[in-house]
Amino acid sequence: MAGREAARKVVHQVRPLLSVDKDEARKRVINLYKTWYRQIPYVVMDYDIPMSVEQCRDKLREEFLKNKDVSDIRVIDMLVVKGQMELKETVEIWKQKGHIMRYWKESQDPKPTDFLSKFFNGQN
Amino acid sequence: MIRAPLTKALSLGSSTSPIHKIAAAAFRTTAVTAQIPAKAPEKIEVFVDDIPVHVEPGTTILQAAAVAGVEIPRFCYHERLAVAGNCRMCLVEIEKSPKLAAACAMPVMKGWRIKTNSEKTRQAREGVMEFLLMNHPLDCPICDQGGECDLQDQAMAFGSDRSRFTDINHSGKRAVEDKDIGPLVKTIMTRCIHCTRCIRFASEIAGVDDLGTTGRGNDMQIGTYVEKLFLSEMSGNVIDLCPVGALTNKPFSFAARPWETRKISSIDVLDAVGSNIIVSTRTNEVLRILPRENEEINEEWLADKSRFACDGLKRQRLVAPMVRIKGELTPVEWEGALIEVGQKVRAANGAVAGVAGSLADVESMVALKDLLNRVGSEAVCTEQSFPSEGSGADLRSNYLFNRNIQSLETADVALLIGTNPRYEAPLINTRLRKAYVHNELEVASIGPKIDLSYRHNNLGDDSNLITQICNGTHPFAAKLKEAKNPAIIVGSDLLARPDGAGILANLQNFAKGFKSTSALNVLQRNASQAGALDIGYQAGVEEAIKSKPKVLFLLNADEAKVTRDQLPKDCYIVYVGHHGDEGAQIADAVLPGVAYTEKTATYVNTEGRAQQTLAAVSPPGLARDDWKIFRAISEIVGAPLPYDSLEEIRDRLDDIAPHLIRHGHLEANSFQTVAPQLSAAPSISSGKVSVQQLSLKDYFMTDPISRASPTMAKCIQAAKKEGEKKAASASC
Repeated sequence: MAGREAARKVVHQVRPLLSVDKDEARKRVINLYKTWYRQIPYVVMDYDIPMSVEQCRDKLREEFLKNKDVSDIRVIDMLVVKGQMELKETVEIWKQKGHIMRYWKESQDPKPTDFLSKFFNGQN
Repeated sequence: MIRAPLTKALSLGSSTSPIHKIAAAAFRTTAVTAQIPAKAPEKIEVFVDDIPVHVEPGTTILQAAAVAGVEIPRFCYHERLAVAGNCRMCLVEIEKSPKLAAACAMPVMKGWRIKTNSEKTRQAREGVMEFLLMNHPLDCPICDQGGECDLQDQAMAFGSDRSRFTDINHSGKRAVEDKDIGPLVKTIMTRCIHCTRCIRFASEIAGVDDLGTTGRGNDMQIGTYVEKLFLSEMSGNVIDLCPVGALTNKPFSFAARPWETRKISSIDVLDAVGSNIIVSTRTNEVLRILPRENEEINEEWLADKSRFACDGLKRQRLVAPMVRIKGELTPVEWEGALIEVGQKVRAANGAVAGVAGSLADVESMVALKDLLNRVGSEAVCTEQSFPSEGSGADLRSNYLFNRNIQSLETADVALLIGTNPRYEAPLINTRLRKAYVHNELEVASIGPKIDLSYRHNNLGDDSNLITQICNGTHPFAAKLKEAKNPAIIVGSDLLARPDGAGILANLQNFAKGFKSTSALNVLQRNASQAGALDIGYQAGVEEAIKSKPKVLFLLNADEAKVTRDQLPKDCYIVYVGHHGDEGAQIADAVLPGVAYTEKTATYVNTEGRAQQTLAAVSPPGLARDDWKIFRAISEIVGAPLPYDSLEEIRDRLDDIAPHLIRHGHLEANSFQTVAPQLSAAPSISSGKVSVQQLSLKDYFMTDPISRASPTMAKCIQAAKKEGEKKAASASC
């Protein structure tokens, strides 16, 4: 019992990154999502990528849903921060076309890890 | 022929002080030191640049300076050769002595203060450099030695910064005609500075007194006097010895600069000595192979085949898996080839056999054996035969050299039976020659008359001689018995005879009464043999043929010991190896493996010392590491082997025999004395004792790599021509 008490205390004592509770974190996520959502038409135009706005929005949704199971507020905050940085880089055109297209990584095959596929690939 | 060089006259005593050990190492007279009783002579104190050092009496200034950590420049002096003292580069000042002394030849005296960096010394060096450069061409930009040239380096360090040379306007520099001394060594004799290292090497170490000087002073020339090729199995070493670009590597000429190449330490596998080498590569090509110093194995020499056969690594290579379709070997994808082989292995239902050839490494042999064991077969064997009667290959001492190569220097009586070490293991032969020169080694041989580069007593080639020696009726038997450190070197081909077990048993019984337990030395010819027997391969292909296999794996087996008509009609032959040679020709499926410069693999040399090669270049085409091929087949067959990486298969090696992963370490051998008790009936059939490699032309091509090498082909041509010339001059 005492152990659990101590653990709870530790949880409480962890310094928050940005948000103090779940609602705040959720708000931040939704804000980020909305900003990206609104930016997408400009991204498609500025970077001249061979993707439609709808496809980009699908991708945006997909990227966010990748992290749907994250429950730690600090991790959510950090992901939001990273998403903002990414957005900033995109808006300022610090990125290039290739960086945007990297969200659709269809040309990259995952490297094999089992012996036989490695053998056929000539990988060491 | 020099039989007592200066080093012997100096006669160092043995001592235990670390400083003296260094000095003794500088001497390389271990053969001599061991002979002298341990009465340490009083040490002399000398001062090298005011650093006090204690050295044995008889130490030269140069060696004393080496002990003090001061290097004196030199051209003619070489620690493994007799002292010549003719280049004068090592002149140093001795306090209170009016004249400078040549450090390489002058023994130190008590209390000498040697100045290696005084004004006078430096002036002397500058003067010597000036004289040397006066007659040395300024062709460094097109010289192959550029970048690794002693003259170039020392001219920068000790030479003058300006030239006083005006003779170019009058008589010009000395010019000397180039000589043709063979297909391996290129000569540009104008560059020669007359250090005579090559002459001393040829007469002292190679034992071929072909090189010499003619003329005197400015007109002195190094050469063979009459036009003649410098044909020796050790000739390549004069390239390393030459301090300038007078003798250079012919196949490597104008190929690359030393600073452009990557150098990888590795092991040579073209004979069973396991010489240490450095592989120089550039743009994924092996450009040349140089010796790496290892006092216990090859000192700093390298045999010609090991050095020059590397161009065979680029020719006749198998670069894609192939399967026989309608009688033709057709390149296919790995997947297809493996599935084909896997199906055959499955269908064979355990009737599978494997044969490992001379270049197979331990890892791939282990993988092959594990694969075959998993599909229910025990028939793995080597191409080279070895008697299985008695204790056979169960005791390591039966098939190994049983002593380290270095200890041959202290041998006093040697008997060679059915072997020609000069061509089977040139670096062991140089050790024997060293013992002959420095230790009065007495050599006798049973077998055909051969030239060993030193004098020896050929007892004849009758097999009965072995019996006579062993039962003590031959006069030479007594000599062996009385010897302090006798060596009976037995060729592996002799033991491959049907009566090999009898010969081995006889010799073991005979060697029991010797003063040394390491007297019986089996000289293997293949780099793979000792390793294969260590991990439990059976020697000789009979076992594989007897098992009537439906699938036969040939791992680097290119000696054509297995032929189609010995096998069942429906036998499916799978060849795994790197060269399209005998083995690939009869195969139904060819799976390309890699050569020794392309893989990190373990080899066990004839001493029983495990050493590893390191991958210097990446494999050509679709070739894959040999052990990985077997690992892949095992997965297709449905019995995957439990190792995926090199570390994991090394762990497996450790499980089988721990010495296999202790690279460079020589495990001591026991059971020499037990072996005769287990041995078979000692009967020797009469007949002749033969040797496969009789003369130099037999030496150059013995394995798939050297057979694919154009340089080796040229060597054979040259050796044949020289032989014909000799025969012609003898007849007229």
